[in-house]
Amino acid sequence: MIDLNVLVRSGALALRMLMRSRVRLVLTVLGIATASFLFTAERSVRDGVREATQASAQETRLIVYRANRFCPFTSRVPEAYVDEIARIDGVASVAPMQIAVSNCRASLDVIVFRGVRAIDAERILAKRLRIKEGSLADFLARGDGALVGSALAERRNLRVGDRFNSAGVTVTVAGIADADGPQDRNACYVQLPFLQSALGGIIGGEVTQFEVEVSDPSELQAVAAAIDRRFANDRAPTSTRSERAFAARAAEDIVTISRFAGLLAYGALAAIFALVANAIVLSLEGRAREFAILQSIGFRAPSIAWMILVEAAGLSLCGALIGAGTAQLVLTFGHFGLGAEGVLVEFRPSLAGLTTSMLASLLVGVAAGFVPAILASRRGIAEGTRLA
Amino acid sequence: MIHDHAKSTSVANHAWIRARKLRKVYRKALRDGVQEIVPLAALDLEIARGDFVSLMGPSGSGKTTLLNLLAGIDAATSGELWIGDHNLVHMRRDALAAWRAKEVGIIFQSYNLVPVLTAFENVELPLLLSPLGRRERTERAMEALTTVGLADRAGHFPSQLSGGQEQRVAIARAIVARPPLLLADEPTGDLDRESAELVLQLLDQLNEREKMTIVMVTHDPRAAARARTRLFLEKGELARREEAVP
Repeated sequence: MIDLNVLVRSGALALRMLMRSRVRLVLTVLGIATASFLFTAERSVRDGVREATQASAQETRLIVYRANRFCPFTSRVPEAYVDEIARIDGVASVAPMQIAVSNCRASLDVIVFRGVRAIDAERILAKRLRIKEGSLADFLARGDGALVGSALAERRNLRVGDRFNSAGVTVTVAGIADADGPQDRNACYVQLPFLQSALGGIIGGEVTQFEVEVSDPSELQAVAAAIDRRFANDRAPTSTRSERAFAARAAEDIVTISRFAGLLAYGALAAIFALVANAIVLSLEGRAREFAILQSIGFRAPSIAWMILVEAAGLSLCGALIGAGTAQLVLTFGHFGLGAEGVLVEFRPSLAGLTTSMLASLLVGVAAGFVPAILASRRGIAEGTRLA
Repeated sequence: MIHDHAKSTSVANHAWIRARKLRKVYRKALRDGVQEIVPLAALDLEIARGDFVSLMGPSGSGKTTLLNLLAGIDAATSGELWIGDHNLVHMRRDALAAWRAKEVGIIFQSYNLVPVLTAFENVELPLLLSPLGRRERTERAMEALTTVGLADRAGHFPSQLSGGQEQRVAIARAIVARPPLLLADEPTGDLDRESAELVLQLLDQLNEREKMTIVMVTHDPRAAARARTRLFLEKGELARREEAVP
């Protein structure tokens, strides 16, 4: 039977011995921290992609786009469609929306302007956005007023009253708003006529898309099909998808990047495994005598194996804390997001991501120490102490 | 005055350590077969409790192998080796470790202190396996360091100590758990004359005052002269036994 007291004391002894081997500790921990940073960052990309694109049974929002168009600059549908869409069964509300982006391709710093009618701003935005600074009234009162999503405001360091220009559109920040969805958190809402005019279009002419709310989530696909059927033979046929399906298609490149980044995450875990195993195996070669001394004193083989596992756990946990912790800080304060064709994927840190990184590093580290631990505990004591 | 018992096997009436036909064979794989090395052929030996024994003999005579077997850190190929009520030959590795923690202190020629631990922490190591609390462990470790005259070096790392001091710390570590048996492998082999004398005085004290049974391998006749019983090994067998007559 293994004495719990001895396990605790030998574990503490292993950590003390590890802390005293500073060069080995620092170099190994730095390596693990780097790998853990990559792993955590990749997790946040994957989580962001999932949040933006994964379909949900509770979805009620549809995006009506011009058929066979994939970029906000080329999707043009008559604003007049709004009344016809509103008449389709199952549609609760519909809002025409003009989209303008600073960069159509995949980019880390995209500004997405969303032009909405004043009536829709009062009806829809008031529900979806939580205004932290400024007010909806200020937004409606100013022609060039903008309601800026909180993530975009933090990324660009914007405050109420600031003026900024992007994609040829100059606006004044009338409010900063938080939201549950990544698209709203990163959007810059302006009034539709203002945006249509700023882009050189005709007020009341064409818009990029319609946002449609359906009354029953189970009717989502049926309503989408009904909308597309209605305009199939019109001058601007439409393609209607759920908001997340639309995001998944628009952000196809980002999804592909995310899949590739997933491979990097596994690579990071493999690096942690290799680093811990290497650090332990190399140190065992030099410390065969130390462990033999402990065994000659009376430490049993399981205690020796336990000490090596504690050391592996200590190394990986320490590295994971630094790496994953740094990644969380960088992601929290960096407000990174990747945009493509007007759809934004946020890289948001989460407690679940941090926990997963820590656990993954810990498990991989302990697994890496397992074989060396068994081997070290089975070594001959006499040869280790050079007594023979 | 020395009394000679050549190849005697029954000196003590109350032998505490008893070896019967103790044999150790190392097998070494060679390209054209297996080579057998027999450091201990069929050793018969008895040592009384409380004795101070020196083990002497030429290189390869089996001294260190015998010490390893007595310490339970190597396993005999055949025969019997009793220490008190324990037949070490039939004990499993874990049982030997538990027995060693309570019954044996080992002093190595090359000190074998853990370099990343202080003198105090090295001495405290065997007590981590005992049920003693922190305060008692500290007291016992400091007491052992005081015994070897190094209480003021408790916070020093081995690299900050001289060879003689390192060996005294190793002795403190070997005695801190108060084992009845102390095994020393060339404890003065790496020391200058003055340090060697200090170490031998310590062993004398431990034998006389603490009644520890000491078995010491040595090549040094002066060190061997401190022992009450001198055993001479040759080719893995006991060649001669000498006892100092009080």
